[in-house]
Amino acid sequence: MSGCNEIGLMLGAFEDGELEPHEMQEVAFHLARCQACTAEISGIATIGRELRAIAPAPSLAGFAAKVKTRIDNLPAPLTARISRSISRRFGAIGSGLAWGGAIAAVAAMATLLMTPYAERFTNQYNNAAPTVAMLAHDAARVPDEIAKVLPEAIPADDRATLAGDSQAVILRLESEIPSVAVWNEPRTGTPVIWVPDQQQPQL
Amino acid sequence: MTVCFRSLTLLSAAILAMGACGRAYAGNPPRPILIRVDSVLAAESNEGIDPRLGQMRSMLQGAFSYTSYRLVNEQDQKTECGKMLSFTLPGGRILHVQPRAIDDGMIVMTIVLFEGARPMMTTDLKLMDHGNIIVGGAHYQQGILIISIGASTGSPIRPSEQPAPQQPSLAVPASAITR
Repeated sequence: MSGCNEIGLMLGAFEDGELEPHEMQEVAFHLARCQACTAEISGIATIGRELRAIAPAPSLAGFAAKVKTRIDNLPAPLTARISRSISRRFGAIGSGLAWGGAIAAVAAMATLLMTPYAERFTNQYNNAAPTVAMLAHDAARVPDEIAKVLPEAIPADDRATLAGDSQAVILRLESEIPSVAVWNEPRTGTPVIWVPDQQQPQL
Repeated sequence: MTVCFRSLTLLSAAILAMGACGRAYAGNPPRPILIRVDSVLAAESNEGIDPRLGQMRSMLQGAFSYTSYRLVNEQDQKTECGKMLSFTLPGGRILHVQPRAIDDGMIVMTIVLFEGARPMMTTDLKLMDHGNIIVGGAHYQQGILIISIGASTGSPIRPSEQPAPQQPSLAVPASAITR
């Protein structure tokens, strides 16, 4: 059982309801039997009442709304402003962007998966394509004589196809003559390297 | 006695190793490569096609649009990888052909066309076995000289001995087979 000295230390907190339940019970049990402590707590309660009367509590009406307004008025971080602006302006096409991103991702995956096939496809042309590529590159400056011997009946697309059937793969071709031309004979795929004389008579 | 036995073992191993190396070396002699160079004069003389050209005629007609083709010269030379051959062409041009390797059934070679001492054209290429490549463009007499360069590692076969190709493909066309 606690004495008045110990209970007296807890009276203020008891009046404010800040004690633990068992302490509240102990103080209340003591006050029921102790006149001095009852008088002391009565004085504490009186002082509390008078203090509360002197300094009335401020009204909290509208406090939450005011805080919210102030938060809204605070300058937002740059990233937040950008994202807010984007979402406001492009909100309508946001789903479109998402779809576009998904399609781009699928396309990238497909490209990665198809790369060996694409490589094989391009190699099919590259194996003999030097001839075709050179022909196309030099087509503008192929002399009339060379143009004359080029198989006219073969469209350019067919030449590219025929390049895949070439009997040879030209790895390197060097010549000082600018009008060197290369093509494939269409039936057998025989490569033809045309190296004209530099001092040719004009036909 | 132990030392003697060990020496004999080492000597036997060395002999076996040398024998194996020699056998391996003898088992892979240099592969002969036959290079065939046919010189054809193409012109607009309406003289037709030289019957000696055999099935090369279809190749020439497919690649060019001249009205007459005449076989001027045909040369065969045998070589092996790394050894260069020299051919003198009608009109004085010189052709150097050097097979360098055989890669996946194709003959890797270097061809250099000289006019005098000056190389006019240099090319590195992979040619199918029994395949052909045409180098042309030089004026000769009243026409244009067309050179057919063929290479083969097997027995030489004349183009005229080959059946006609059924369709253009990677298969060796008859006109490309060299002697």
